[in-house]
Amino acid sequence: MRYKVEPDLKQDLKKFGIHDEWKDCFHCGNCTAICPLTENNFLFPRKAIRNVQMGLKDKITSNLDPWLCYYCGECSETCPRDANPGELMMTLRRYLTSKYDWTGLSRKFYTSHFWEFGAIIFIAAIVVALFAIFLPPAADLMLNPKNFINEQGGVMINNLSATFGGDNFVSIIEWGDWTMAIIVATLLITNILRMFYKSIIKDYTIKVPFGSYFSEAWQLVWNFALQPKFSKCDKKSYWIGHLLLMSSYSIMFAIIVVLLPKFQIEEIKPWYNWQRILGYYATFGLLFFLIYVSIKRFQAKEVSTKYSHITDWLFIIMLGLTTITGILVHFFRIGGLPGATYYMYVIHLAILVPMILIEVPFSKWSHLAYRPFAVYFSQLKKAAYKKQSSVKIAVAA
Amino acid sequence: MNDIRIGVYVCWCGTNIAKMVDVEKIAEELSALPHVVLSRNYKYMCSDPGQDMIIKDIHEHKLNRVVVAACSPRIHELTFRKALQNAGLNPYMFEMANIREQVSWVHTDRDSATKKAKSLVSAAINKVSFHEPLEKRTVEINPATLIIGGGVSGISAALEIADSGRHVFLLEKSDSLGGLAAKIDLNFPYLNSATNLLNPLIKRVNDHEHIELFTNVSVNEIFGYIGNFKTKITLKNGQEKELEFGNIIVATGLKTFNPSAIKEYGYGKYSNVITSLEFESMLKEGKILTKEGKVPRNIAIIHCVGSRNSNYHNYCSRVCCMTALKYANQIRSTLPEAHIYQLYADMRAFGKGCEEFYAETSRKDIVFMMFDQRQDLPSVSALKDKNHSELQICFHELLSGEDVEVHADIVILMVGMEAHEDAKEIAHAVGISLCGNEFYLEKHPKLDPVATTTDGVFIVGTCQSPKDIPDSISQAKAAAARILATILKKTVEVEVTTAVVNEEVCCGCQTCVNVCPYSAISYIEDRKVSFVNEILCKGCGTCGSACPSGAIKSRHFTDQQIMSQIAGLMQMVLKEEV
Repeated sequence: MRYKVEPDLKQDLKKFGIHDEWKDCFHCGNCTAICPLTENNFLFPRKAIRNVQMGLKDKITSNLDPWLCYYCGECSETCPRDANPGELMMTLRRYLTSKYDWTGLSRKFYTSHFWEFGAIIFIAAIVVALFAIFLPPAADLMLNPKNFINEQGGVMINNLSATFGGDNFVSIIEWGDWTMAIIVATLLITNILRMFYKSIIKDYTIKVPFGSYFSEAWQLVWNFALQPKFSKCDKKSYWIGHLLLMSSYSIMFAIIVVLLPKFQIEEIKPWYNWQRILGYYATFGLLFFLIYVSIKRFQAKEVSTKYSHITDWLFIIMLGLTTITGILVHFFRIGGLPGATYYMYVIHLAILVPMILIEVPFSKWSHLAYRPFAVYFSQLKKAAYKKQSSVKIAVAA
Repeated sequence: MNDIRIGVYVCWCGTNIAKMVDVEKIAEELSALPHVVLSRNYKYMCSDPGQDMIIKDIHEHKLNRVVVAACSPRIHELTFRKALQNAGLNPYMFEMANIREQVSWVHTDRDSATKKAKSLVSAAINKVSFHEPLEKRTVEINPATLIIGGGVSGISAALEIADSGRHVFLLEKSDSLGGLAAKIDLNFPYLNSATNLLNPLIKRVNDHEHIELFTNVSVNEIFGYIGNFKTKITLKNGQEKELEFGNIIVATGLKTFNPSAIKEYGYGKYSNVITSLEFESMLKEGKILTKEGKVPRNIAIIHCVGSRNSNYHNYCSRVCCMTALKYANQIRSTLPEAHIYQLYADMRAFGKGCEEFYAETSRKDIVFMMFDQRQDLPSVSALKDKNHSELQICFHELLSGEDVEVHADIVILMVGMEAHEDAKEIAHAVGISLCGNEFYLEKHPKLDPVATTTDGVFIVGTCQSPKDIPDSISQAKAAAARILATILKKTVEVEVTTAVVNEEVCCGCQTCVNVCPYSAISYIEDRKVSFVNEILCKGCGTCGSACPSGAIKSRHFTDQQIMSQIAGLMQMVLKEEV
């Protein structure tokens, strides 16, 4: 397999956040030596830098290495030329996300502010419009707020609309949730198939043994749930922090999608109720993470937060706004303010929905799928290398 | 030989010799040999007290021959000859045994090293017994100098000598001065114009009252020896002119490698594959265009063409790496959007300012790619999809470990440097030797890089090996200084341990004439014998060993002396065995 040298690739990569530092790399290999993830045939990040320097586009597209890297930043700290290999891997993750995406939207969102902000506003507008058409506020919401307060003094959140109320209201929201989930899942799954095609099928140097597709499948679950590769990085606090954040996400996902009818109910449970405790845990987890990461990105002291792409900030801002509006909905509801609760609920969804629809299939959040699959695929490659080398040895013997 | 009285001195050379050789034991044991009057050991024989010891012993013990066992005679033979002379003895009644470079520095077993040292000293004692007094000879120097080659080296040497008021004959094969330097546009690493450097020098040469310039001439055989050379040159109008001079500087330069020999590169097959020299003329004209007249978008530069590969030349041509970087700079400033590819084997940036030049150039968006110069040369072929470029280069890139293809509109071959086809002829005419690559061989690669084994003949610039302009000029000026020093002395000492023909025994077979590497032997027709010109003779002994009738005696290397040396060596060995 011969790769074409295309130097213009670096101009393209610049739009995905690359800086000029990588040009200083002279291939000493210190980054490869320090990286806790280095193994035979997986000599990153040096090889990825070389591929970028030469503009081997096809090679980069078939490369899974960026997904195996968790950006602990030790490579960049060790680099004698300050070539910042860690940031290059970060850029390549963005680039690969756009390469896997068949709609072409990911590239647009990453490389154009107009598209990125336009899409957010567009989806938010659709959410608002859907509410205005199908779930408009009740006529007397502002005039007679008392009509919407239950005996506990809290807002009856499922009965604020003029059209549907009670279980019907929850069903409509749940239906919307699942529609969104299906759209996101369809996009992700098709993109993962493209990732498989580009990294396994188009890598002519390997032939994956059929059995390993099954024997390595457990890697998917294991790596999705606990990121054992992340735990290999010397900075264990990053891994633990990420696990806490993930648990918050998972709980939130359960609360607002899977178990919505059980959670979005009129009765206000006491604060020590397990449902409320879970909700508080998840909210606290998100808030803590957001504040922590924002401080790090503002300081820009550590390697991994030295550079922030516009999409990095947008992700933090969108998640932050989602969390804050969610908290406000909660307090307005307990505080017995039905009007504020209804409008805040609409705003909350008008931020949450574009965030999910843009971040998960097309942007930063897609790593939740690409990372475990990259581990799985790289295990397949490894199985292929192992088989091929044992064949070679047998011939030589 | 009753009156032979030898003094033997074994040097410690500090710990250099003493740590590996038992010097005291050797000195003691050798005192028992016949004719050895005394045998001493001392810490530094070359020091003033060491030399004084020899002088004192010569007076007190009536010594008439001296053996010093110490370092290489190259280093201190002259020192000790002078000591003998100061003591009133003929300085050639001396022999040196090298027990440092040949013994203590190269061995690790003290007992064996001591035995070897003893054998060598004993051989020297045997040999010195047969030494005869020789007389120093000097010849007068003709103050004119012949310089062959009007490139930057020849010009620099000519101006240096002529500026001191000495006459220079400057011969140039072509019709204009400047050589290879006149064909290049800018110089690395400071990117200044070669023409601007060269033109004032050429003008000075043309106007100089002490430089006689001959263009379009070739060199015929040069006769004579240091101080008194002469030759005939053929001028452009066919006239012959005889020149007489005391010293010669050979500055004939080199030529570029013809890349059609390398099939992979397709030079001659594809019109847009060009040599570095062809690209220079493109730069001089100020237009970088393909043969079709298009502005190129992709330019690939292949390094080490004909260099560092056993199929072509094994050596490094030294200037191509930096020249290739110079091209990258010039292309980048002319065509800011162009893709520039450097296909290199190793980047060599050793000159002053060169590493900095490399670092600076590497920041100009140039793709550096490494290939295997020894086994896997890139191959240039026509590109089927001609949307962008005409040519493609396929190779295995070493830093990435990938097989890659590079598309190019122009491929520049950094052709290596090689000796001129007529290098051999000139070497023969002047009487100098070639090293394996047909470049001229210097007298000593480190200690005497501009002189040759023929006294009065110097080699400067790229005829000695590929080098850049500053190195060439340094050599030219060094040779000029050497020549001016000999001119200033008015006379020069010549070797006295020469060969001599016994005309009674000589059968006139002329074997010696053919084997002499210094053209020192001629055949005298009327007497039908060979004759050694003692000023040209270096005493190498080749003729002596080749002479079938034993008519040639090499002074201080007679058959008798060599046999006695062998006997001396064996005597010690046999003694040990018994």
